[in-house]
Amino acid sequence: MTDFARAVRFQTVHLAIIGLIAAIFMVGVFASDRFVTVLNIANVQDQLVALALVALAQTVVILSGGIDLSFAGLLGLLSVLFATFAGSDPATFAAAYVGILVLGTAIGAITGGIVAFSGIHPLIVTLATSTIMAGAALLHTKQPSGSVPIFFEDIVYARFFDFLPWGTLFVIAAYLLVGFVLWRTRFGIRVYAIGDDERAATISGVPVRLTKVLIYALSGFIVALAAIYLVGRFGVGDPRAGIGFDLRSITPVIVGGTLLAGGRGGVLGTFLAVILLALLANVLNFLNVSNFYLWIVEGVIIVVAVSLFVVRARS
Amino acid sequence: MADPVLAARGMTKLFGSNEVLRNIDFEVIAGRNIALCGENGAGKSTLIKLMTGIYTPSAGHVLLDGEPVIFAGPKEAIAAGIAVVHQEFSTISALTVAENVFLEKEPRDRLGLVDRRRLRRDCADLLQQLGIDLDPDTPLERLSVAEAQMVEIAKALRSRARVLILDEPTAVLSHREIDHLFRILRDLRNQGMGLVYVSHRLDEIFEVCTDICVLKDGDVTSAGPIEDYDHDRVVAAMVGRRLGELFPPKSGPATGAAPVLSLRDLKVEGSAASVDLDLRPGEIVGLSGLVGSGRTELALAIFGAARGAGTVALSGANYRKRTPGRSLAGGLAMLTEDRKANGLFPDASVAWNFAASTLGKGARALALSPRDEEERSRSVVERFSVVVDHVGQPISALSGGNQQKVLIGRLLENAPKILLLDEPTRGVDVATKAEIYRTLRRLARDGVAILVISSELIEVVGLCDRVHVMRDGAFVAELLGDAITEDGIMAVAAAATGGGMRPSHD
Repeated sequence: MTDFARAVRFQTVHLAIIGLIAAIFMVGVFASDRFVTVLNIANVQDQLVALALVALAQTVVILSGGIDLSFAGLLGLLSVLFATFAGSDPATFAAAYVGILVLGTAIGAITGGIVAFSGIHPLIVTLATSTIMAGAALLHTKQPSGSVPIFFEDIVYARFFDFLPWGTLFVIAAYLLVGFVLWRTRFGIRVYAIGDDERAATISGVPVRLTKVLIYALSGFIVALAAIYLVGRFGVGDPRAGIGFDLRSITPVIVGGTLLAGGRGGVLGTFLAVILLALLANVLNFLNVSNFYLWIVEGVIIVVAVSLFVVRARS
Repeated sequence: MADPVLAARGMTKLFGSNEVLRNIDFEVIAGRNIALCGENGAGKSTLIKLMTGIYTPSAGHVLLDGEPVIFAGPKEAIAAGIAVVHQEFSTISALTVAENVFLEKEPRDRLGLVDRRRLRRDCADLLQQLGIDLDPDTPLERLSVAEAQMVEIAKALRSRARVLILDEPTAVLSHREIDHLFRILRDLRNQGMGLVYVSHRLDEIFEVCTDICVLKDGDVTSAGPIEDYDHDRVVAAMVGRRLGELFPPKSGPATGAAPVLSLRDLKVEGSAASVDLDLRPGEIVGLSGLVGSGRTELALAIFGAARGAGTVALSGANYRKRTPGRSLAGGLAMLTEDRKANGLFPDASVAWNFAASTLGKGARALALSPRDEEERSRSVVERFSVVVDHVGQPISALSGGNQQKVLIGRLLENAPKILLLDEPTRGVDVATKAEIYRTLRRLARDGVAILVISSELIEVVGLCDRVHVMRDGAFVAELLGDAITEDGIMAVAAAATGGGMRPSHD
């Protein structure tokens, strides 16, 4: 239990989300008899994998008091490059896979370096890098193009016992790993320290700049995983694959109880919030509600969630 | 006396052509606690920084166990066993006690992972050794300021230290918390550690220190065992004049004039008791009492910055729906206790800070006039002899005393009839205090009614014509004339609570 002490502090938030998930689930059950089917359960999971990954990346960045709005451009660029170079045999695929992870990490590290050394607010820096990468992706190809080996698509679409996709297991593993890193490494303690009080962290000898570079590099690495996953799901690299993911990556972080100001929160809340949002979209779909209502509902959830935290913080 | 663990010999420091320290000798002896006192700007912090490797001396050297050493940086000083608790907190509220104490020194296992169990155990051991009763797993945000200060000390002592230097450690602590801190310091001293206690709170120095060294303008003006000193002698060494000379003569309570401020059954939110008070033009009335007795809350309620039930009347006219803006317009001004949290914009210029609550005076129509702001702020800078390069300088670059002078000048710009001053001289050096006292007395003579809240008994006694002592939100005594003494106030203020009130003479 103590291994997740920092997350446990937000227990009420977690309980609230679980309660909401249960409520929405019940609505889904009544809405359609196709809701609790193996096919739909697997479908919901397929929908949430990419969001879960980028939200995980965003959680770490926000915990450190930063923000990363580069996901739209980064996802687009990495997916077209991956689809271009993945080829059809395992060797080119492996090379492209590693190459994309390295590239994503490197771009993240550069972004982190600019944030750490220039003193420019990460909001501005990451918006700029996102724009640059979106432009580069569209220069590379205007239409979805490229391909991945069949075996990779098979893996992405494979399910255990028909209802459990690989992607879900992968997401759970990623969340556990990042949670572990935050709890058991000096880097993890530094993330919270910088996010809470950068001045005090500096006085205490925390290498603030190095840590920021590492945080954005980690973010780039996780986003590269998401890009590869998206290519596997759609079979092509789409320069517009990332559109919307910049802001959508923030929603589950905030709803999950991580403070936008940094220093407070954790990955468990984000994980639950991702499930909540994916389930919500799915149920609204069954209710024949337009997708645009989902935007409105998401917006309302953010405002309500943040207000609740503000009220809690004041009391 | 034993040989010093750490010593400075002939220490001199120049910043440019400015000689901040001149040929200082200073010794830290194992098992003793030396007070380093002096006014702001006397060179205390510079001396500490020279002995801990943050600055390099212009002349002179540091001796460790009698051998000359050169610390290339603070890390080397720490490695040599010299621990410093700086005035600025370095604790992080999102982390636990143990994480804070061992930040960047977390015990790690063979894989390089933080060994949480050992982290907790090491921290528990250290806390126990220091007599600090805290759970290593508690997040810092659940601790009081005092407990965070204890964590700060534990953090400084996490690696074996022989010398502990504390830079104004009690600035934010209540009396009971200070007692706890002192118990720990005495334990450390008895264990043979050499302590340096930087402070200008004389009562604390007399309570916990064994020796004293007084700096003034970069020179040691006096040093020796604490038994040879009393308050007067220390102050004289610090400022070159005696305590009594700080305060202008009193004018006695004003009885004739009609009150400009009247409180009837004023009850502050959350308090059971209510108060009555009449404040007349020309008098300085003190509100004394322990921290938490409701003094600040009362002032805020009068000013309209906190809620209160009951009647407030300004020159006989009932003042309802109180807000700070309406108070200022009605000639009621307040100086808040914590100038950093309320009332000061640290990054803005002196002129801007000055203009912030006096807008409109220099404004024509809706436009502000920066030139007018500058001119008016310059006149205040001159009138109050604020030490500043130019009024465009950020106010955070000024010393506490000079910041306070700007804020007082700003208050007076609106020509208030009533002044509520909460700790008007906190963090201010003695010379500036004397200046502030003179200014307040002059204002009173010009017909302003002044209410002063102060934790410094000497200030209340020296300055006020009349003193109300508060306890648990109620006035428990009113003292007049010669009856205003430190003992008299203390006896009433602490009577029911049983807590000791420590008078402060800085």
